[in-house]
Amino acid sequence: MSYYVRKAAFYLAALWAAVTLNFVIPRLLPGNPVDILMAKLQQRGGTVDPAARKAYETLLGTGGGGSVFQEYVAYLGNLLRGDLGVSVSAFPAKVSEVIADSLPWTVVLVGLSTLLSFLLGVGLGAVVGWKRGTWLDALVPATTVLSAVPYFWLALILISLLSSGLGWFPLTGGYDVVLDPGWSGEFIGSAIYHGILPALTIVISSIGGWLLGMRNMMVSAMSEDYVLTARAKGLTDRRIMIRYTARNAVLPSVAGFAISLGFVVSGSLVTELVFSYPGIGSKLLQAVQNNDYALMQGIFLVITIAVLGANLVVDLLYGLIDARTRDRSTVS
Amino acid sequence: MLKQLCALGLAVVVAATAACSGSGGSSRARDTLVVYTGQAGDFQLNFNPYSPTFIEGMGTINEPLFFFNIAADQPPKPMLGTGFQWNADGTELSITLRDNVSWSDGEKFTADDVVFTLDMVAKNPALNKTAYKGTASATDDTHVVVKFPEPAYMDGPQVLGQMWIMPEHIWKNIANPATEVNPKPVGTGPFVLGDFKAQSFTLKANPKYWGGEPAVKQVRYLSLSGNQAGVDALKAGSIDWQTGPIPDIKDIEKNYPGYKAITLPLNQVSLYTCSNVQLGCQGAQTDPAVRKAIYYGMNRTQINSLAFQNVNTEMSPGFTLQPRDKALLSTKLTDQIAPMNPNTAKATELLTSAGYVKGADGIFAKDGKPLTLTVKVVAGWTDYITALETLSQQLLQIGVKITPQQLSWNEWADARGRGQYELLIDSVEQGPAPDPYYTYAYFFSTAATAPVGQTAFPNYSRFSNPIVDNALAELKKTDRGNPARQQHYDAIQIELEKHLPYIPVLTGGIPNEYNDRAFTGWPTKDDLYAFPAVWKRPDASQVYMKLKPTGN
Repeated sequence: MSYYVRKAAFYLAALWAAVTLNFVIPRLLPGNPVDILMAKLQQRGGTVDPAARKAYETLLGTGGGGSVFQEYVAYLGNLLRGDLGVSVSAFPAKVSEVIADSLPWTVVLVGLSTLLSFLLGVGLGAVVGWKRGTWLDALVPATTVLSAVPYFWLALILISLLSSGLGWFPLTGGYDVVLDPGWSGEFIGSAIYHGILPALTIVISSIGGWLLGMRNMMVSAMSEDYVLTARAKGLTDRRIMIRYTARNAVLPSVAGFAISLGFVVSGSLVTELVFSYPGIGSKLLQAVQNNDYALMQGIFLVITIAVLGANLVVDLLYGLIDARTRDRSTVS
Repeated sequence: MLKQLCALGLAVVVAATAACSGSGGSSRARDTLVVYTGQAGDFQLNFNPYSPTFIEGMGTINEPLFFFNIAADQPPKPMLGTGFQWNADGTELSITLRDNVSWSDGEKFTADDVVFTLDMVAKNPALNKTAYKGTASATDDTHVVVKFPEPAYMDGPQVLGQMWIMPEHIWKNIANPATEVNPKPVGTGPFVLGDFKAQSFTLKANPKYWGGEPAVKQVRYLSLSGNQAGVDALKAGSIDWQTGPIPDIKDIEKNYPGYKAITLPLNQVSLYTCSNVQLGCQGAQTDPAVRKAIYYGMNRTQINSLAFQNVNTEMSPGFTLQPRDKALLSTKLTDQIAPMNPNTAKATELLTSAGYVKGADGIFAKDGKPLTLTVKVVAGWTDYITALETLSQQLLQIGVKITPQQLSWNEWADARGRGQYELLIDSVEQGPAPDPYYTYAYFFSTAATAPVGQTAFPNYSRFSNPIVDNALAELKKTDRGNPARQQHYDAIQIELEKHLPYIPVLTGGIPNEYNDRAFTGWPTKDDLYAFPAVWKRPDASQVYMKLKPTGN
């Protein structure tokens, strides 16, 4: 039992450290949100009246006063109450609203494509590893080359080919702008249609890693004694491949997958930029460009919790998949 | 053709991609005007004209009392007000209002709405963007008197032209007007909100508008991914009006059939100097002789052709906006207009007589310190960067070495605000009325600056001069149009030329492109009834009202 207590304590300490870094890092950025707001208004023919700046300082509550430490205590207090504050760049919308609007887009797009890429990669990797030495080995360099291509370049090539050239997919956006977001069939269809190309680029560029890892683990697992024993017992190839070799070979990939699920929330910044996708990555960019501390903190917090949560789940569930870790964890 | 364009754009910049999707809606009724205000990313619903993140409404939905046109020296145009009068000492402003006006929800507009709006601004520091300190009262349904604690002629354009009149019967129930997003705006203006979506929204003509229903029945606002997308949309003919540079603007009628362009001078591009030793500035630029030498060493003709496509225009060292303020240009200036060609002899002589000696490397030095300065510029502002590269070559001729330093916008703005720079390039801006008073009060007055290390806004040069401060105080007490003002304008211009806290470069033009085939009535150089930038409010509403669809 003390194992779980120690795990929980570790994760709490990690969470505190992450939350504190969330507070510190945005404040190391030069500039402040009021100046950026004034500059944006100026570029659109707004006023440079000194009174306007004072009014916005009052409005955004950045008019000095209060030490950094007081701000920090207030920040922790607000976090405990679940209050993430008001976004400056989307003023007067709340940070929680901004995140709630954009998070589902990212989670669905990146989550599904990560899952798809994992399943495809591991499945293909198992087959390629099992049939090593055949023409299937060519899949390894082919997919790793695709992973090595810079992501944005691959995305641009696909857009140019499939959207501009052949006109099969829309160029950008998360849905057809003439539709009202909602749970109508038409809107969901449009969202899926707009999501295919970004998802495809994520899958193509990440499948190589899974495939390579799985294939190599397969090859080393196949030389284990238990595989030989299974063969000697006369089990079918299919059974040996799936139940004996692949099951053991997949363990490192599962750990990697759980970690990458944590990073799903942080999105694929580049994906969202290239496709003008309305997800959390584009909001993070908007926050950084506007020195929107509250929004940055909110997004970082969500990412931190997702990554820590995924790690915790891996820690706890790994024992279920791998009997050896279960034994060791009860001993320690 | 469009597909090829997109493919081409893609190969060059990522940003270009959205252009093609944004330009999808090309089949549209020709009484719909499509505008692109530079909105990148989704529109955030906000029709509160007092909010910093408003997306529309000034002039189109909620009107001011008068329209002040900063593009031309003209009397204010009556909107909700029909006339105004100051008392003898400028502490009381009497306004007469239009009688036959109703709100878009049918309620009648009265003087109470005006008083309510002014009081709301006075009571809420977060709304008070103009430091309005008056108290307003209604004498009857069509007359309002505003009393000020001190002579406030110069606050007139702010109160009359920048206060967007809100309906009392709705806004009195709003607890916090600063954070209100006004999702269903009610106004007296020529337009009402049509439909709103995150990537586009429309304004519909108000059939009950007091000035008659506008001929443009609908205005659609688009969000695209940036300037490049705007240019592409223009090429595809899917937007009718945008403001921003396009390549080869001189040949617009050939490259973009049906479109015309108008470029108006507005921003006075200058080298800002941290000029004031008393407020903590450091570096050679604190010496007026150095600033003057740079002023004379500059080849403005060459900078204009290499960096600004020759669209920028001459600039006066007295910072009156030319040609708009021609009447105010002081005859007592040494140079009424900053010389377009360099005067190397004069620059060298200025430096020599200030005690600088030319070193072996051809750079002047004083007390062993060579005359080298750093100029901060925002990375990506390519025209300014080119201008500085050109200038650094030119200034080597007069023995001054300047080094451009590119920074992110945030770092640059931080350095500018805190005065932690030697030189930087930016533009000096205009106020709410066609009057250089506002430029002087914002950029040259002691009240708008702060010591180095603290944030100054917007007198970044830390210039502080008693003659200028006095002249500004006098101007505040004199009504616009009074000939007695000229002596104060003269005094300020002479001081600015003498000290050059901002070294004039050129007056920057704002380029605007519009569809002249489908709509007539655009502002032209001969009839500048409003500043023709699509993002300029309330000017854009004046243009919307004047446009007529041609049916093409």
